[in-house]
Amino acid sequence: MRMLRNNTVKENITGYLFILPQMIVFLAFLVYPILEGMRLSLYRINYQNEKFVGLDNYMTLFHDPVFFKALFNTVIFVIFIVILTVGFALFVASAVFDKNAKYVSFIRGSYYIPVMVSMVVMSMVWSFLLNPANGLISFLARDSGLGNINLLGNTKTVLPIIIFVTFATNVGQAIILYIAAMIGVPKDLFEAAEIDGANRWQVIRKILIPSVQPSTVYITIINIIAVLKIFVVIQLLTGGGPNNSSVTLMYYLYNNAFKYNQLGTASAVGVIMFIITLLLSVPQLRTMLKAK
Amino acid sequence: MANMKNKKRMETFDIASNAIIVLFAVLNLFPLYWLFTSSLKNSSDVVKMPPDWWPSTVTFSNYVDIFRDQPALRWAFNSLYVSGISTILVIILGAMAAYAFSKIHFKGRNIIYIIFVSSLMIPKEIMIVPLFRIIQDFGMVNSYSGMIWPNVAAAFGVFLLKGFFDTTPDALREAARIDGAGEWKIFTRIMLPIVKPGIGALFILNFVQVWNDYLWQLVVGQEKNMKTLMVGTATLMQDLNPNFAYKMAGATVAAIPMLVIFLLFQRYFTSGMTAGAVKE
Repeated sequence: MRMLRNNTVKENITGYLFILPQMIVFLAFLVYPILEGMRLSLYRINYQNEKFVGLDNYMTLFHDPVFFKALFNTVIFVIFIVILTVGFALFVASAVFDKNAKYVSFIRGSYYIPVMVSMVVMSMVWSFLLNPANGLISFLARDSGLGNINLLGNTKTVLPIIIFVTFATNVGQAIILYIAAMIGVPKDLFEAAEIDGANRWQVIRKILIPSVQPSTVYITIINIIAVLKIFVVIQLLTGGGPNNSSVTLMYYLYNNAFKYNQLGTASAVGVIMFIITLLLSVPQLRTMLKAK
Repeated sequence: MANMKNKKRMETFDIASNAIIVLFAVLNLFPLYWLFTSSLKNSSDVVKMPPDWWPSTVTFSNYVDIFRDQPALRWAFNSLYVSGISTILVIILGAMAAYAFSKIHFKGRNIIYIIFVSSLMIPKEIMIVPLFRIIQDFGMVNSYSGMIWPNVAAAFGVFLLKGFFDTTPDALREAARIDGAGEWKIFTRIMLPIVKPGIGALFILNFVQVWNDYLWQLVVGQEKNMKTLMVGTATLMQDLNPNFAYKMAGATVAAIPMLVIFLLFQRYFTSGMTAGAVKE
């Protein structure tokens, strides 16, 4: 009996020692910043001076049209980019997953390479391509009689362009995940469908898409969260312009914190984004924990 | 394999879909072609209208300028160092914790694991203000440790490696204990070698993620010499030098390392990413 208890105590201590290093970093650089961010959002901060102001920072946000513009744009980006990504990745993966391995890896590679070379590099190329004076796209538009265009300088076209660039750069990840999931679907399902005389479209709709539903949930959520913090493409392509028409929450947060020195307001934006992220990730966490 | 069946009778729908997909794949790679060829043009050719689809005179002077005017090698080293050390720490701390969550029966392990995993979805950028103040208090602004530690905080390594430890039999640990091996020895000598594929996948995924990270490194590395390759390259966009070919050469330099890594380790990406995703 006593030996048993000794063993449990030892097992407990060993367990805690093994998780201790990760736990310390986790508490210091993740949990503490979250709590500290909540606290800071209730203060007006001037260098080392902090003054408690209650919900004033949140009130400032709710009276700032730029904040609502940022919120609106972020929601628009999330909706369109996620729908495009999931839709297009499903289309690509369902068409190629059962072809020969060389072809599959060619498709996977071509769509994944922009992900690898990073949003920074891709934003720089697109900024050159779209440059109104000497970009290739502007030239082609002039050449085909569309006149002078400035897609990034026009409030009507700037959002669709950012949506497209972000989607085209990042869709590769979703394609890789879908192809892997579809290759894992049991083959007898397809054989049964074939015996029943189903055509390809029916197989995709009735078997493939329902079978990869867990991947769809996963891809949707990681993409929502990735788009929620969209920043690089805004900073490098538009700087939030023209006239704040392409500003996003993350860009707004960054400017408040590091340009206008409004640390309290910036923290309040962070807290709002934290709550949105947490709510969005609940379904995913549930499946992740169930999977074990 | 289902593909043998499909070969004999590919439907029109299937052929059309694949044609579109190949076309888009090529279009999707075109910006990178344009990036590379533009970087080889001289400053007047790069803005010439109509453009040269292939540079009429190939020059490497933009690359010479990049390495002469910018500390590009230093930036590349910074990126390598920050990504490398972050990843090694993620692997060591992550593997230890993952092993404990998977194999050691300590009190409260489920609830602690749930708290760890819940943090996975929270991007550190959201908490950039308090995080930056912490880094300031520790005197870590403009330092490698300031860039590194926040990358180690998220439990991605724990989550990914636990999946691999879970597939190893418990009996291995029991047998080793009967032979008198201590926990640390079991972990390092027996368990770690078994989960090597998981460590490989984690290494690649995490390395690339940190390498391509931007906002946090932008905030921490403020001195020119402390910028990482991504942040430094992005500053070329605001550079006084109006030569687009020069900017494109910088972007090409930033693109090449990850391109090489991807071409060399393609299969690890697939296995790593799917290990992180849900299982069917």
